[in-house]
Amino acid sequence: MAAADELAFHEFEEATNLLSETPDVTTISRSDPRTPEGQVAVAVGSGGGYGAEDEVESDKTAEQQPQPGFWTFSYYQSFFDVDTSQVLDRIKGSLLPRPGHSFVRHHLRNRPDLYGPFWICATLAFVLAVTGNLTVVLAQRRDSSIHYSPQFHKVTVAGITIYCYAWLVPLALWAFLQWRKGVRERMGPYTFLETVCFYGYSLFIFIPTVVLWLIPVPWLQWLFGALALALSAAGLVFTLWPIVREDTRLVASMLLSAVVLLHALLAMGCKFYFFQPLPLEHMAPAHQDTSLHPNVVLTPTPPRPMTS
Amino acid sequence: MFVWGEPEGELGINFDHIWQKTLTVLNPLKPADGSIMNETDLAGPILFCVALGATLLLAGKVQFGYIYGMSAIGCLGIYALLNLMSSSGVSYGCVASVLGYCLLPMVILSSGAVFFSLQGTIGTVLALVIIVWCSLSASKIFISALDMEGQQLLIAYPCALLYGLFALLTVF
Repeated sequence: MAAADELAFHEFEEATNLLSETPDVTTISRSDPRTPEGQVAVAVGSGGGYGAEDEVESDKTAEQQPQPGFWTFSYYQSFFDVDTSQVLDRIKGSLLPRPGHSFVRHHLRNRPDLYGPFWICATLAFVLAVTGNLTVVLAQRRDSSIHYSPQFHKVTVAGITIYCYAWLVPLALWAFLQWRKGVRERMGPYTFLETVCFYGYSLFIFIPTVVLWLIPVPWLQWLFGALALALSAAGLVFTLWPIVREDTRLVASMLLSAVVLLHALLAMGCKFYFFQPLPLEHMAPAHQDTSLHPNVVLTPTPPRPMTS
Repeated sequence: MFVWGEPEGELGINFDHIWQKTLTVLNPLKPADGSIMNETDLAGPILFCVALGATLLLAGKVQFGYIYGMSAIGCLGIYALLNLMSSSGVSYGCVASVLGYCLLPMVILSSGAVFFSLQGTIGTVLALVIIVWCSLSASKIFISALDMEGQQLLIAYPCALLYGLFALLTVF
């Protein structure tokens, strides 16, 4: 496999990064029988650092066979080649971020998948729309003066927002990191798919949070939201830290705070848009002198009589 | 059973296979035989779709358009996913066939909706059970037919979302 040897040090950025971190590893290359397009897999057997053998599947090997076009299924097949246990392991890894453990290095192990991000985003959009409607239904059960009509457009809005966030923000982040690549010598930036992947998995914690937002206790909602945001943003920060710590302080802190801020904006935007009765509480205390507690999520009386 | 042999040849409908597939769906915990999907037949699925529409009609909901629309789009989505995740491809007819067969528990749910309203705790729990039942059967058949080890939950989850949409139609 002389061709594979030539490839091994030119194109496999991820492999060289792993190698640079654990210098006493051996690399062997073999063709994986599961990759019929002739992609070459480099297996990194590590002496100490990462334990089990890893496989690096590169989608840049054009030397062996012409690469299938992006409109065919086989182009994307390598990104869906995951087991249930791997997906569950990645989800667990995103729920419990640990300082010093980058999600990409420890859980993705250079095999980003699109299954997780795609279905997490789909679930999140679906759950947002359903719970957004359910809060109004539940409020109607408690107080029949609230009018409920199924709002299907919320599904569309949720879907578009979540998917745009999950694709455009990693794109911007990746582009920015690529631009700053020159500053770093030791470690290359993550590929675009890895960025999309860890962003997608980081959104997982919002799914149970959104379900818990059905409980109409405001301080509890804010507590859950803050907790979810903290865990998710921590995961993102710990993943990005090895990349940005070699950059200047200013750029690093700006980048990390931008990431956290965007995440917070997403969380708050979802809370305000899909659990919409919140604006009603701003109108009520100004116009009514009843004993309405200003933090009640749903006002018992509709604001309309106030304007007449 | 020479009598049954003739209609099989003429109509192309293999009653034995249909019955076998129905039994496979009704018992989600029994491992499926991978070869039953070798011939795609749409007779069973179309029958179940019509039955679903009919029972929904009896319950007062005229939603044939949604059923057919969601079935088509859902089948397309699952077809794309299975082609991405399996090493061997799968045809659209096969996907439609399996998903249609696994719609049978949903028909049971919607016939229940004719007699009592499902909007309550019992209805929700029943709907969830049916969704899990449908998706486990569908993923079990797909796994055995396409030889995808260790990915049953990954297939079951999108199927559960699809059947969840059907359940929403049935319950609300």
